[in-house]
Amino acid sequence: MFATGQQALGKRRSADSDRIIGWVLAAVASLAVLTLVFIILFIAENSGKVIGEEGLWSFITGGIWRPYQSEYGASSLITGTLLVTAGAVLFAFPLGLGLAVYLSEMAPVKVRRFLKPAVELFAGIPSVVYGFLGLILLVPMLANLFSGQTTSGFCWLAGSMLLGVMALPEIVSVSDDALRSVPNTYREASLGLGATKWETVKKVIVPAAAPGIAAAAILGIGRAIGETMAVMMVTGNTALLPEPLWNIFATVRTLTATIAMEMPECVVGSTGYSALFLLALILMVIILFINLAARALVARSQRRFTGTPAGRFEIWYEKRTAQFMEVCGRHRLQLLRQALKTALVFVFLFFIVSLFAPFGEAVVLAAIVTAALGLLLTDGVRRLGRRRVQTAAHCGMAAIAVFVMLLLTVIIGYVVINGAPALSWSFLTEFPRAGGTAGGIYPAIVGTLELLAGTALIALPVGVLAGTYLAEYAGDGKISRLIRDAVDVLNGTPSVVFGLFGLAALVTWLGLGISLLAGCVTLALMVLPVIIRTTQEAVRQVPPELREASRALGATKAQTVFHVVLPAALSGIVTGAVLSLGRAAGETAPIMFTATVVIESKLGNSILDPVMALPYHLYYLASEGRADPSMMYGTALVLLIIVLGMFAVATAIRIRSERRSR
Amino acid sequence: MIDELTMEVKGLHLWYGEKEALKGISMPIRRNEITALIGPSGCGKSTLLRALNRMNDIIPGCRIEGQVTFRGEDIYASDLDANDVRTQIGMIFQRPNPFPMSIRDNIVYGPRIHGQTKAGELDELVERTLRQAALWDEVKDQLNRSALVLSGGQQQRLCIARALAVNPEVLLMDEPTSALDPIATAKIEELACELEKNYTVVIVTHNMQQASRISDKTGFMLMGELVEFGDTESIFNKPQKEMTERYIAGRFG
Repeated sequence: MFATGQQALGKRRSADSDRIIGWVLAAVASLAVLTLVFIILFIAENSGKVIGEEGLWSFITGGIWRPYQSEYGASSLITGTLLVTAGAVLFAFPLGLGLAVYLSEMAPVKVRRFLKPAVELFAGIPSVVYGFLGLILLVPMLANLFSGQTTSGFCWLAGSMLLGVMALPEIVSVSDDALRSVPNTYREASLGLGATKWETVKKVIVPAAAPGIAAAAILGIGRAIGETMAVMMVTGNTALLPEPLWNIFATVRTLTATIAMEMPECVVGSTGYSALFLLALILMVIILFINLAARALVARSQRRFTGTPAGRFEIWYEKRTAQFMEVCGRHRLQLLRQALKTALVFVFLFFIVSLFAPFGEAVVLAAIVTAALGLLLTDGVRRLGRRRVQTAAHCGMAAIAVFVMLLLTVIIGYVVINGAPALSWSFLTEFPRAGGTAGGIYPAIVGTLELLAGTALIALPVGVLAGTYLAEYAGDGKISRLIRDAVDVLNGTPSVVFGLFGLAALVTWLGLGISLLAGCVTLALMVLPVIIRTTQEAVRQVPPELREASRALGATKAQTVFHVVLPAALSGIVTGAVLSLGRAAGETAPIMFTATVVIESKLGNSILDPVMALPYHLYYLASEGRADPSMMYGTALVLLIIVLGMFAVATAIRIRSERRSR
Repeated sequence: MIDELTMEVKGLHLWYGEKEALKGISMPIRRNEITALIGPSGCGKSTLLRALNRMNDIIPGCRIEGQVTFRGEDIYASDLDANDVRTQIGMIFQRPNPFPMSIRDNIVYGPRIHGQTKAGELDELVERTLRQAALWDEVKDQLNRSALVLSGGQQQRLCIARALAVNPEVLLMDEPTSALDPIATAKIEELACELEKNYTVVIVTHNMQQASRISDKTGFMLMGELVEFGDTESIFNKPQKEMTERYIAGRFG
């Protein structure tokens, strides 16, 4: 026999401590968010000087960019960015969509389980490694293949191809989500009417998922537009418009590359310095618009299946479309759409054909070949018959999957095969000699690990607490929506903008100097939005029943959050954190002005000393061009091992937790 | 015999936003008895149950008028801690909801939260509560395995053991068997009858046979009102109100 509780009811002690913990979390969250808002304001404020002197309009439209002669016309840079990005999407979107269709509709479960993380691996490879491979593989290859059009091989096309590969994982995973969120009943209904699988995909699934797929393309653009290192290393960086504009073998220069190249040479507070901030601001505005469009599209696709009412913009849009239809007539509109589609196919074919024909008179020839090819293809498909089309489509999608896997194998295999011989104990433990052309990379490894540890130390607690606050305490009011929007904006901000901020605010303004600390804080700010978001997601996925169970046992809200909710969300949080830190470890742009030096002969002994870091070291070796190639391959391999190792850990954690929850 | 009265509900109104979910409920809950609440879906019986240990506090937009007393004290008194109320008045939910931890950790979670940390005491507590919940023999060799590997019925008994571990006086059960198969249901019912000796139990159920099998008192609810309340036998054999009779005869609900 045991006594049932006979003590008197307590008088509000735990309720007080609960409230205090809530306040502390709110403080951490608002601190994180205030910092993020501060970044935006800081960049806007610093770009004021050049706006005052040049005027915003002439800055954007001016054609000549010669900062050393005080000529600031950014139109060629903006165009360069847009061209490289457009090329990247033209290349990546068909591949990405094909792969997503294969993954979600056709691949056997086993293949999918292997292919999905493999595609995500593309996102894990550091941008500087892409740039390095572009420099050493792609650029010479283009120079050889198209010796008529380009002598050096540095060109817009090279940048687009690299960016395309880098944007691929984003496009694949978002389209895959969109395709998989199409209700299964649609598939069953279509198959039940006797349609083939391919017809179902083409006529039902893809149209149903169209807004989500469009969002995937847009997010891919967003990713590509903010990329710095890879583009900078292969596009040649001349601040001129291509002649003619569609010359994909022209050298171009992007906004991000301009910031990265000119930042170290600027005098703080000068007009040139301010001009770079304005470039960053323009970049952020472009990305903001891209993300807003993506968000609207995703909301629209969700609306399709849930039946939530349309927003004001959509009502306007639909009314306009209806009006337009009335004016043009349904039939004519359909013809127009058909014509547009065909034209798009032809442009794409022309693009590919013209790669192999030198410019000049041959353009006409290329056009004829394109037309013939296009007709053959469209007509051929029509004559095949339904079953064969189905088989052909299946093969086509599988071929894309094989091609992408091959690409991944080439990228990783090339680094491993060439890098492995360079790996030796002395390479890993010695200091570099003779300007990095000999010796080892010990300080760079140490530096990267130190940066990683410091970043984790700052970003993890703040990000996890802020994310927890947003998910558990903030509710759905205006303020928390504002906070979420700020986090979203920073999530899309290019890494080079964080580098710019780090240099201006931390290194100069706060006087930290180029140091480990400044680098860690910069990287932490960069990963903070990601950690906040993943924490929020993971916490939100904890079933509400667990919270109820805990509260029903008399636990306070804080006890419930820290003892039940966070442990249950742990694997999700850790996966997200490790992934984002892995990405931070491979980043170059944020640390190259804030933390790194080219060569160190001894390790720094305080957090205010600068460090070496693997990504920057690789960039330095590759761009100097004097180094022994095996040094570069070795550095790239070590970097890849660290980054992909973290990636593997994250994937393992995720798979394990998925298995346990089943 | 005022001593027998563990809890009492007096004129309880409850709103979710604009919607009035409970419209003036009054009923006694006696010590060491099982009180059953029956009624069609959406009649407010679960809401009433959750009002008995302030679980509704967590839901935004929920407003309460009237009184719920526990040992003569109003549990909604402003200087009272809701968490303490819930410690004294435990709850079992519709779907078994063990934490994603080991069986042992599930049970010691509550006592640890309330400051009991001695390993020996906790071990004793684990065995005692699992025995009370008639689960000990089935799990004694796998206390460190995840609670999620247990069957639904076992999980629900684990949840009961977990609730007992914080030493409550009242147990509220919200359709505890609706997600279980008949055999597991029989075990939980048997357990409820066993618990009655030491605890006061309030059970919400969809299943009228269940109410008639295990409860001492039964309340029939309809559209947020307590239509009839009394001894289970009289409610089922000679109900006073026509609605009660029709519901029990299975003519609606």
